[in-house]
Amino acid sequence: MAIEFKLPDLGEGIHEAEILGVKVKAGDTVKEDQPIFEVETDKAVVEIPSPVAGSVEKVHVKVGEVVKVGTVMITFAAVPAAVGAKASTEARASASVQEQAAAKQPAAPVNTGGNGKVPASRSGRVVPATPATRRLARELGVDLSQVSGSGPAGRVLKEDVRAFAEGVPGGQVKPTAAPYHEPSGEPFIAQPLTAQPSELPDFSKYGPVERVPLRSLRRKIAINMTQSWTHIPRVSSFDEADITLLESLRQKHETSLLKHGGKLTLTVFALKAVVQALKQFPQFNSSLDESTGEIVLKHFYNVGVAVATNRGLIVPVIRNVDQKGIAELAAELTDLAQKTRDGKIELDRLQGGTFTVTNLGPIGGTGMVPMVNYPEAAIMGMARSTQRPVVRQNNNIEIRWILPLAISFDHRIADGAEAAMFLRHVAGMLEDPLQLLVEG
Amino acid sequence: MPRKPIKLPANIEYLSVLDENGKVDRELEPKLSADDLKKMYRYMLLARRADERMLNLQRQGRIGTFPQSTGHEAISIGSVFALQKSDWHVPAYREFAGMLYRGWPLETLFLYWGGFEEGARPPEEVNDLPYCVPVASQLLHAAGLGMAMNIKGDKKVVLTYFGDGSSSEGDFHEGLNFASVFQAPVIFVCQNNQYAISVPLSRQMKCETVAQRAVAYGIPGIRVDGNDVLAVYAATAEAVERARNGGGPTLIEGLTYRTTPHTTADDPKRYRNEEEAKEWVTKDSLIRFTQYLAAKGVMDEKAKQALEEEIDHEIKESVRRFEALAQNEELLNPLSMFDYMYADTPKVLERQRDELSDHLRKKKEGQTKAGEHGGSARKAVAAADSPKKSK
Repeated sequence: MAIEFKLPDLGEGIHEAEILGVKVKAGDTVKEDQPIFEVETDKAVVEIPSPVAGSVEKVHVKVGEVVKVGTVMITFAAVPAAVGAKASTEARASASVQEQAAAKQPAAPVNTGGNGKVPASRSGRVVPATPATRRLARELGVDLSQVSGSGPAGRVLKEDVRAFAEGVPGGQVKPTAAPYHEPSGEPFIAQPLTAQPSELPDFSKYGPVERVPLRSLRRKIAINMTQSWTHIPRVSSFDEADITLLESLRQKHETSLLKHGGKLTLTVFALKAVVQALKQFPQFNSSLDESTGEIVLKHFYNVGVAVATNRGLIVPVIRNVDQKGIAELAAELTDLAQKTRDGKIELDRLQGGTFTVTNLGPIGGTGMVPMVNYPEAAIMGMARSTQRPVVRQNNNIEIRWILPLAISFDHRIADGAEAAMFLRHVAGMLEDPLQLLVEG
Repeated sequence: MPRKPIKLPANIEYLSVLDENGKVDRELEPKLSADDLKKMYRYMLLARRADERMLNLQRQGRIGTFPQSTGHEAISIGSVFALQKSDWHVPAYREFAGMLYRGWPLETLFLYWGGFEEGARPPEEVNDLPYCVPVASQLLHAAGLGMAMNIKGDKKVVLTYFGDGSSSEGDFHEGLNFASVFQAPVIFVCQNNQYAISVPLSRQMKCETVAQRAVAYGIPGIRVDGNDVLAVYAATAEAVERARNGGGPTLIEGLTYRTTPHTTADDPKRYRNEEEAKEWVTKDSLIRFTQYLAAKGVMDEKAKQALEEEIDHEIKESVRRFEALAQNEELLNPLSMFDYMYADTPKVLERQRDELSDHLRKKKEGQTKAGEHGGSARKAVAAADSPKKSK
C-alpha cells in the first residue's frame, strides 16, 4: 500500500509553503520522524519529519516551488514487512488523517494541473474586486485572475464576472453608437482590448536563458509592488531645495556627531523636515481603508527609510521621529541601516511605518518617481544634490547646492496642490536649517 | 500633616537551591525521598520527550498547533509536587509535565492538541481543570475555586499558573486581588519565560520582578530559579502549607526562558537573537537535575537509560492509542459540539443541532446514492465543514 503525504497546515491557517529543501529522493529508505523536507510558510521555516518508516517511491515537489496545503509532496512505497505490524498501523492511521485534513481544505475553483503546482499568474497577481464580486465569481466558477476589470484602477466588477462567465473575455461590449463602416461600406467589428499580460515568448529561440524562481525577499517585494501599483492611483510631483546653508552646517558638525555613533547624513535632516510637513499635511501620514471607505489618519510619525541590500530593497522604520533629536536620529539611522544591510534587522523594526523616505543621492540620478510603499499614502524621494548656477536676488548668479525632491502619493487621499505644498514645506525647512532646528 | 514614607512589607526574595552545574545548597535542600526525586525526574523527562515527539506529529499534520513545554518542566513539576492528590491544579498551557504527573493520560492530551474537545476532560478522581489557552483567565477560575474552599470549609488548596505576558492582563489583577481580599488558599505560579510570543520582558513590565507585585496585593511573593526544580518545590511547599493553614495566597515567580518557539506557528528568529536562547539551553533544568541525582546516588547512567527506553515505549503506545481514538466515529461526530455547554440545551441550539443532523444525513444518503464507497461520518464531517471554511 503506497502512502501519500500531503502538506499539512503547519501554522494557524497557513495556505501554502515554499519548498526550501528536499532531503530525500526516490528509492531512499527513511525512518519515522527523519527530516524529509524544509519548508517556509508565512510564519516560519520548519522541518517536516517523515510520518512513516519505509522507502520513498516518489518526491512530487522540488526546491523553490510554492505548494498549497493538501498538495501531495511525497509518496512512500509499501512499508517493509520487517518493520512490523505496529508501524504499518500507525502509517495507515496517519495516511487517513492526511486524507481528512485534505478533504477539509476548500476546493480550488479551477483545476491547477496534475502536480498541484500553481501557475505564477494565479498566485502572483492581486485581483482588485469587492467581496460581493468575489462571491459571484465563486458561484459562477470564474477564476478572477482571468478576468480583466473595467472598473476604476482595473477593479473587476460584477458585470465583468458575468460577461466572463458567458464567454465574453474582458467584459461585455455594448455598442452605443452606430456600427462602424469602412469607407468601402464594409462593416468593421471592433474587438475588445484585454489588459491581460500576454504569455511570454519562447526566449530560448533567440539565445540561452536561465529561469530563477522569485523567492523570499524578491518575491515579497514583487507582491508589495504589484499591490501598490494595482491599488494606489499614484501621482508624482517634483521640487528642488537649495541646501547650501544646510550642507555647510552638516559638514561642519559631521565629525563631532561621529563620536556619538551617528553619521550626519542629509537623510537625517530630511526626516525632521518630513515630519514637520506631515504635521501640516496629515493626509500624507494616513492610509485608505477600502473595506470601510475611511481614511486612517495616524497620530504618530514612524518614517521608513529605504535601504538597498544585496538581497533587495528593505525599509526599516524609525519610530516617533518627531520625538527624537538630530543626534539621536543620526545614531539610530546609522545603526538601522547597518543592521539592515547585515540582514540582522529585527522584524518589529520593519513594521509600523507611516511614510517612507528614499534617498538615491549617494548612488546618483537627477530625479525619480518613487513607488508608494503600500499601504502608506506617500513616499518622498531625494536624488543627488549638485552644485548649480542659480539666479538669486538682484539677478546675481550664484553657485548653490541644489537637492532634487520628489513625492509620489495616493491621489484618492490627497491632491496635486497639497503634494506640491508638502514638498515646498520640506524644501523650505531644508533651505532654512535654523527653522528646522527650532521647529523640529 | 506630615509627609513621610509608608512602611510596606516589601521583602521579595530570590531562591536558588541547585545551581547550573548541579551543585546543591545543603542548607536549602528540601527533604525529598529518593523515590520522590526519581518520580520528579520521570515526569520531567516524559514531558520533554513527548513534547519533542509532538513537534514531529504537528509537522506531519497529525496534531494541530500547540505550544511546546520544553524548558517549563521544573516550574510545573516542582510546584505540583507540593500538592496532595485532593488539591486543585489549574494549569495554563505549558504545564504538560504537571498534568502527566496528576494523572492525565498522554493520549488524552494528544487528543486535546489534535482538536478534540474530549481531550479537555480530566480523568475521574483528578482535581484538575483542563488546559487554558486564553491567557490569565484561569487565574479567575483559581481564585473562585479557592474562595469556594473557604466557603465550604474544605482544607484543599489551589495551584494555578500564568506567564509573564499574563501579568499584564486585567484578569491577573482581578484574580490576585480577590484571592488576597478573601484570603483564598491559592498559589499563583508565574512561568516567567521572558517572552509573550514576540514581546520581551523589557516591553512587558518596568519593574524588576513579577514577584514584587505581591506587595501590592499584601501577600507573600518570591522569585525562584525556574530551572531549579528543588527551589520551585521548596517555595511551593512553603506556600501550600501557609495556604492550608489559612494564610491566604502566595505569588511565586519562576524565572526561566522559552528556548523554543511560542507555538508551532511561530518563528522566534524574527524577533530575537538565537544566541540568547542557546545560552539558556545550557541552564536547562534536566541537565542539572540529572547531575544532582547522579551525585546523590539516586540514579545512575544505567537507570537513566532504562527510563529513557521505558518512556520512549510509553510515548509510542500513546501515539498509537491516540491515532486509533482519532478514527473513532463518536469522537468525530460534529453533533457532540452541542452537548457540553448547557445542562438543558436551549431551543435555538436544539434547532441548529437538528438542522445539522438533517444536513449530515442527506449528505450521507447523497453519497451512497452516487455509488461512492464509505459515506462514513468522517467524510460527512469534512463536507459539513467546507462551506464555512471556503474563502
